[in-house]
Amino acid sequence: MGVKSLMLEIALVFGMLLCAVMVIRAGRLLAAALWLAGVSVFTAMLLYRLGAIEVAVIELSVGAGLVTVLFVFAISVAGDQGMKVPSSVPKPLAWGLLAFALVLLLYLTLPPPEVSAMRAEAAFTETLWQGRALDVLVQIVMIFSGVLGFVGLLSESKSEQMAAVVALAEAEPEPPAEAAVTEADALLEQEPV
Amino acid sequence: MAGALSLLVILFPWTGAVIVALAARRNPRWLHLLAAVFAAAAAAAGLGLLFYTGDAPAVTLSLGGAFGDFTLVPDGLGAFLAAVAVVIGSLAVIFSADYMRGEAQLGRYYFLVLLFIGSMCGLVLSGSLLLMFIFWEMTALCSYALISFYNDDPKAVAGGIKALVITQFGGVGLMIGVLVTRAALGSDSVSALLNGADSLPPELLSLIAFGFLIAAAAKSAQVPFHTWLPGAMEAPTPVSALIHAATMVNAGVYLLARFYPAFAGVPGWTTAVVAVGMLTALMGALMALTSDDLKRVLAYSTISQLGYMFYAIGVGAVFASQFHLLSHAVFKALLFLGAGAVIHAVGTRDMRQMGGLGSQMPFVRGVFIIGVWALVGLPFANGFWSKELILEAGLADGPAWAYIVMLAVAGLTALYSFRMVWMVFFGKAWTGRRLHDAPAAMRGSLGLLAVGTLTIWLLAEPFKNLLASSLLRHIGEAEGSVLLAVLTNPATLLALGVIAAGLAAWWWRESLTGVANRLRFIAQAAQADFGFEWLNRQVVIVTHRTAMTLRTTQTGQLNWNAVGIVGGLVIVLLVLIVGG
Amino acid sequence: MTTVLVVGVFGLVAIGLYGLLIVRNLIKIVIALQLLTKAAALAMVVAGQVSGQVNLGQSLALTVIVADTIVAVVGLALAVQVRRRFGTLDVRQLSTQKR
Repeated sequence: MGVKSLMLEIALVFGMLLCAVMVIRAGRLLAAALWLAGVSVFTAMLLYRLGAIEVAVIELSVGAGLVTVLFVFAISVAGDQGMKVPSSVPKPLAWGLLAFALVLLLYLTLPPPEVSAMRAEAAFTETLWQGRALDVLVQIVMIFSGVLGFVGLLSESKSEQMAAVVALAEAEPEPPAEAAVTEADALLEQEPV
Repeated sequence: MAGALSLLVILFPWTGAVIVALAARRNPRWLHLLAAVFAAAAAAAGLGLLFYTGDAPAVTLSLGGAFGDFTLVPDGLGAFLAAVAVVIGSLAVIFSADYMRGEAQLGRYYFLVLLFIGSMCGLVLSGSLLLMFIFWEMTALCSYALISFYNDDPKAVAGGIKALVITQFGGVGLMIGVLVTRAALGSDSVSALLNGADSLPPELLSLIAFGFLIAAAAKSAQVPFHTWLPGAMEAPTPVSALIHAATMVNAGVYLLARFYPAFAGVPGWTTAVVAVGMLTALMGALMALTSDDLKRVLAYSTISQLGYMFYAIGVGAVFASQFHLLSHAVFKALLFLGAGAVIHAVGTRDMRQMGGLGSQMPFVRGVFIIGVWALVGLPFANGFWSKELILEAGLADGPAWAYIVMLAVAGLTALYSFRMVWMVFFGKAWTGRRLHDAPAAMRGSLGLLAVGTLTIWLLAEPFKNLLASSLLRHIGEAEGSVLLAVLTNPATLLALGVIAAGLAAWWWRESLTGVANRLRFIAQAAQADFGFEWLNRQVVIVTHRTAMTLRTTQTGQLNWNAVGIVGGLVIVLLVLIVGG
Repeated sequence: MTTVLVVGVFGLVAIGLYGLLIVRNLIKIVIALQLLTKAAALAMVVAGQVSGQVNLGQSLALTVIVADTIVAVVGLALAVQVRRRFGTLDVRQLSTQKR
């Protein structure tokens, strides 16, 4: 492992973190989504350099490609409100907490053990399909729920019908059975917004 | 065979529960029949199990390294209690066919009752503490749902929630005991705790012992956790018979009896059990004496009798406690079902509005008097033998102060029992409409229980042999005939004398009004539940206030929740660093 | 070499958490979650390298990426529906909404 390789490594990590900072700093959602794609690209490069070629390819295509498309689509549907609102949590508190947590994490993990001797292992595909068969099964279930979620994302017309139904229901006077619920909500609303 | 039977005794009621729940929309007649058939099948399996007892696990379900093995061990003690649960349970189910006629939501009712019976059998047969804990909580859940069965009645709902909260408090004690056992011994099987108790560090063992005592006291409605049992009287009466005689309250006594050999050496433990039992017996009897609600009197008397069982375990007479449990299960089920027949006919639970019912309901009066005969401990009903056995063991091995109180409670028992019988069946005639005596299904259950009350003591010797393998191995109870021991002991006469004094006090109550007036403050304290209701309310109020205060931390805002997550992360990291 | 990667992973975690603490827009919260899961995937592979179980780490990283994508899809679907129903994506306003 030469100095040049280390420099490249540091550059990639630096790029990744820079993109991540820009994600948070970005004023518009669209910009944030694009910076996120940048994070994804840098992550994929790091993964590639670590020898996880298949994972890197999937990260690049899914993380940088598919997810970005999804975000752009969702933002176009939901609207890109430039939200320059003050945060609920005081920023010094957030900074302090995170800095403390980060120091503790690094204290626990640094210096990490260097790459140990490779154990005799099955090939990646074999590990994935045989050793981690349960994971694959769970992934399939997750993908199924993802499809359902995507259907939810697209189900515009139906939900508008639902909204019409809800609006109709609202027009009617509220049944007394909901009195307790509304009371609780009234309590909630007393808090300063 | 033992394995199949111990599975069946759980699975018959549960299968019945599922089928009844699925058939809930059918004709109610079918529901009654289905439930009765499954309960009777379970009863047959439970009685059959008595002939195949053994100390080895009959069923083993391996759950791998994390949980150990779930086992069912049909030893004498477990099989006996399972048999009590299924037999009394099936009689209660048969009784329900008349009592619950025309009620709505029979499917839910029978589902819960059958689930309850199966869970109780699982609890007593379980050979693994974790499995026992699961069944323990299942019985608590079912009892909550059954007490709140009339869920449009706020009193019933409140009673159910009270029972749930208090027994859950006990459940925490059991859970602590189970977890400590598992951590210290590396196994959570019952036999591991019994055999390995000596090797445990004393402070850990006392933690387990007192955790189990809290669990048992909460489940068996002992002081200071007894307040849920009177509230549980809002349940349909067959459920009261089931919970307060056959199943749930016995679970606490079972727990102590099962682990008595392990905990007897813990300093202060036996004294604590004796004190809890004595206080409970005394206060239960006093509250029964001052209550006017028929079912409440029976509930307080159950609390009092359970106090006797705790007392017996505390003085080391585990066999006597189990014998009294058997007697009590039979005669208390009889009394509750008899009271159910009365309430069903009259339509009220207030004894002041009854009176003179005997002439209209001679059958119920007959069986009820048999039940009271046994409750008081008059010869030669089953309660006589078991209560005398307890008192003699207390005289021989227990502290004198406790014995004197328990003897006095025997007199008080006689007093409140005869007061109850008098107010319901004799005295000034009831002026309401004409009443029918109990219908057929009720009569069947009541008759069987009455015969059992009069004859079950004949089985004392086989019963002792049955329990010998699981109890006497550890304890080594007195040899020789149980019945002969009772008859020849002079203490029997002493106890009978006290009981006669109690009877006499009721008979000459007119001339004793002076004494009664002087003791009025005790009566007032008893009617106020000795302040324990107040204590309960304070606990509820404090909890509620704390919750309302803590509520401000729940902003409902995602960002603040994330602050909580990061704060938790920091705490975990600090623990990791400090703890190495 | 590994030190750089570990610092990178934790840096990404910290930035993602900062986003969760500060950001009030629901869609942007989903984006911050994406940062966290990317850090998790990277951490899996690094840990596989360090412990010598390279392929195990990689297959777990794959699981993380799949989960990550599903989180994005479901989270976005929820955000879009919330926007339609309540007209806002501000979590502070949403916390006082009825229904």
